[in-house]
Amino acid sequence: MEYVSPEGLRLDGRRPMEMRQIRAEIGTVARADGSAVFEMGNTKVIAAVYGPREVQNRSQQISDQALVRCEYSMANFSTGDRRRKPKGDRRSTEISLVIRQTMEACILTHLMPRSQIDIFVQVLQADGGTRSACINAATLALADAGIPMRDIVTSCSAGYLNSTPLLDLNYIEDSAGGPDVTVGILPKLDKVTLLQMDAKLPLDIFENVMGLATEGCKAVANYIREVLLENTKQLEYRRGL
Amino acid sequence: MAAKPGSAPTTYSPSLIQKTRPPIFKDNDLDWVRPDGRGFHQCRPAFFRTGAVNSASGSAYAEFGNTKVIVSVFGPRESKKAMMYSDIGRLNCNVSYTTFATPVRGQGSDHKEFSSMLHKALEGAIMLETFPKTTVDVFALVLESGGSDLPVVISCASLALADAGIMMYDLVAAVSVSCLGKNLVIDPILEEESYQDGSLMLTCMPSRYEVTQLIFTGEWSTLDINEAMQLCLDACGKLGKVMRSCLKEAASASQE
Amino acid sequence: MVGLSVGEKHFIQGGIAQDLRSDGRKRLTYRPIYVETGVIPQAHGSARIRLGATDVIASVKGELGKPSALQPDKGKIAIYVDCSPTAAPMFEGRGGEELSTELSVALQRCLLGGKSGAGSGIDPSSLVIVEGKVCWDLYIDGLVISSDGNLLDALGAAIKAALSNTGIPKVNVASETSGDEQPEVNISDEEFLRFDTSGIPVIVTLTKVGRHNIVDATSEEESQMSSAISISINRKGRICGLTKRGGAGLDPSIILDMISVAKHVSEQLIDKLDSEIAAAEADEEES
Repeated sequence: MEYVSPEGLRLDGRRPMEMRQIRAEIGTVARADGSAVFEMGNTKVIAAVYGPREVQNRSQQISDQALVRCEYSMANFSTGDRRRKPKGDRRSTEISLVIRQTMEACILTHLMPRSQIDIFVQVLQADGGTRSACINAATLALADAGIPMRDIVTSCSAGYLNSTPLLDLNYIEDSAGGPDVTVGILPKLDKVTLLQMDAKLPLDIFENVMGLATEGCKAVANYIREVLLENTKQLEYRRGL
Repeated sequence: MAAKPGSAPTTYSPSLIQKTRPPIFKDNDLDWVRPDGRGFHQCRPAFFRTGAVNSASGSAYAEFGNTKVIVSVFGPRESKKAMMYSDIGRLNCNVSYTTFATPVRGQGSDHKEFSSMLHKALEGAIMLETFPKTTVDVFALVLESGGSDLPVVISCASLALADAGIMMYDLVAAVSVSCLGKNLVIDPILEEESYQDGSLMLTCMPSRYEVTQLIFTGEWSTLDINEAMQLCLDACGKLGKVMRSCLKEAASASQE
Repeated sequence: MVGLSVGEKHFIQGGIAQDLRSDGRKRLTYRPIYVETGVIPQAHGSARIRLGATDVIASVKGELGKPSALQPDKGKIAIYVDCSPTAAPMFEGRGGEELSTELSVALQRCLLGGKSGAGSGIDPSSLVIVEGKVCWDLYIDGLVISSDGNLLDALGAAIKAALSNTGIPKVNVASETSGDEQPEVNISDEEFLRFDTSGIPVIVTLTKVGRHNIVDATSEEESQMSSAISISINRKGRICGLTKRGGAGLDPSIILDMISVAKHVSEQLIDKLDSEIAAAEADEEES
């Protein structure tokens, strides 16, 4: 199948290095300590953060740092064909783990010993790149909850189809079976915290694709920073400062 | 398990209430009869027996026509360690169907909500504060589903609780009514339930005259609701008496 | 669930007794309702309802299926509700399952009417394409994103809004087939069928705190309830379903009183909801 037309356009009309429209909103779940919605094209994710709070299950308590937990769930209506999946299938367990590890790396857990931080991400619509969208949403939610972090984490995916590196794959491109590289970075520190790839790629091309994904992450980071800044300004305004 | 000869199964049909409007059909020119030949306001004979399961703290067996139910009660026993401290007792209810309960084998499993409905119907009647930190388990098993399963389960469960010596304000009696066309049919059987336009289930504590649970489906006018509720309340009162006499019988038998 | 001190409890109860609740509402006033339609483009219809801090999404998806042998002239409608852990940490893992089933069953009872379909908000026979062979199976999914009490009313309203927003593609049956063969169908991309949603009831939950009834209780207020009755009422003022929650028994006459109060409240709620839905639809078309 042709994923990139001879004119250099992808199935949804984007250029290979073009990202989908991103949109973020902070504070969508009123009762959570921190929450955010993150959209990448048709992919839409809600994240909510509860904590830091008392550890629910005493046996999991860590004496010198905070316990970070994460649960990823998909709404029944999130995929094109509706199906009812049992909770806690392998895919969501894996993504929960990935998100948890990524977020744990940037949260200053040693500042909050003997406490627990819960991150819940809920996919409302899945159209490729849910993993990245979840991480971006979780970052925003953590920032909204005021949890101390080393830096924000941002994530973006890139793939390689029809001998062209493509940024931010959508569902059709994702299910084409080509390599799919998901990268998560700490943009200010310029460090990679998450790197996942399935399928194989020659080393030189991999560098290209990963570079592209990293660029994507940086673009997301700029946007997220803007959103956070705007949110802070509004908070300031509301306090009458 | 049929009724013992001598102690004829008692029925609890409500006495016909003085209707505020003329009946739609005269009793003799009905265009249909109920599949089992009962009158619209006539209940199936109710049979109760306590002490059906020896290993349980209390148990009861109920048979209403083809609907056969067995309920066992365990406890009060220590709550699971993982549960938080509670200064009132916990009630845990579970309703399950045998694989042979329904005409088609293994189809009785789509009644997940019955457990929570049983819980809601009973919790108001039990003095939970009399057994803090502990749990009472109520396990109901529908041996044969013949319609009006849930009301039978609820009545039977309250009898089993009484048999187990759990403190209650009153027994809980439950009756359901189906609306078929313009007729109200009490204690519907399986066939009637599958064609019903609406249904009402009422559980109440007869001596306190309090409704613990009330469920409606289908479209009802206020007038119909009034009539159906009166019908159910009357039937519940009588069913309560049947249950009470069963308990008394068991108590006097054990004294002998 | 909600941890409240003795003082807070007294404050809530006292406020309700004086007809001035902690958020300034009267006993029978709803929180402002915000409706947004078309939030899930992948579904045939969807809506998001916000009621104070309660936030729910409902989506409607149709799939072609076969009617059941018992009722060949009726399509199937199923309602499922999920409680997202984003709403409360206790819904994590299987924690939300119990509440989800309870809500699903209550909604089915309140909106779908009896077994024969009488009193249903949507006429199931309108979903049939070829009798006994092809019909639409309507899947209604609710998702609780944020919960601050009164989930049932919010979900009921969201489903009503989602159904008003729903367009089911028109299906053309290609050719007459005989016998047991499944007829060939072809789904139109352009023509959509809309539902008549005027008959869909709204759900009004009356929560009894002390001696008084309140509508649209927040979760703090719900923690103080002795019992609650959810009544679904349609525009004609007929009761389409009723469920009771909470342990305390009620006198039958009190229940009848509550039903008449709910009827009165439902009239205003239906009008308010209909105008909000119309506004949301207009908004969606503009953007």
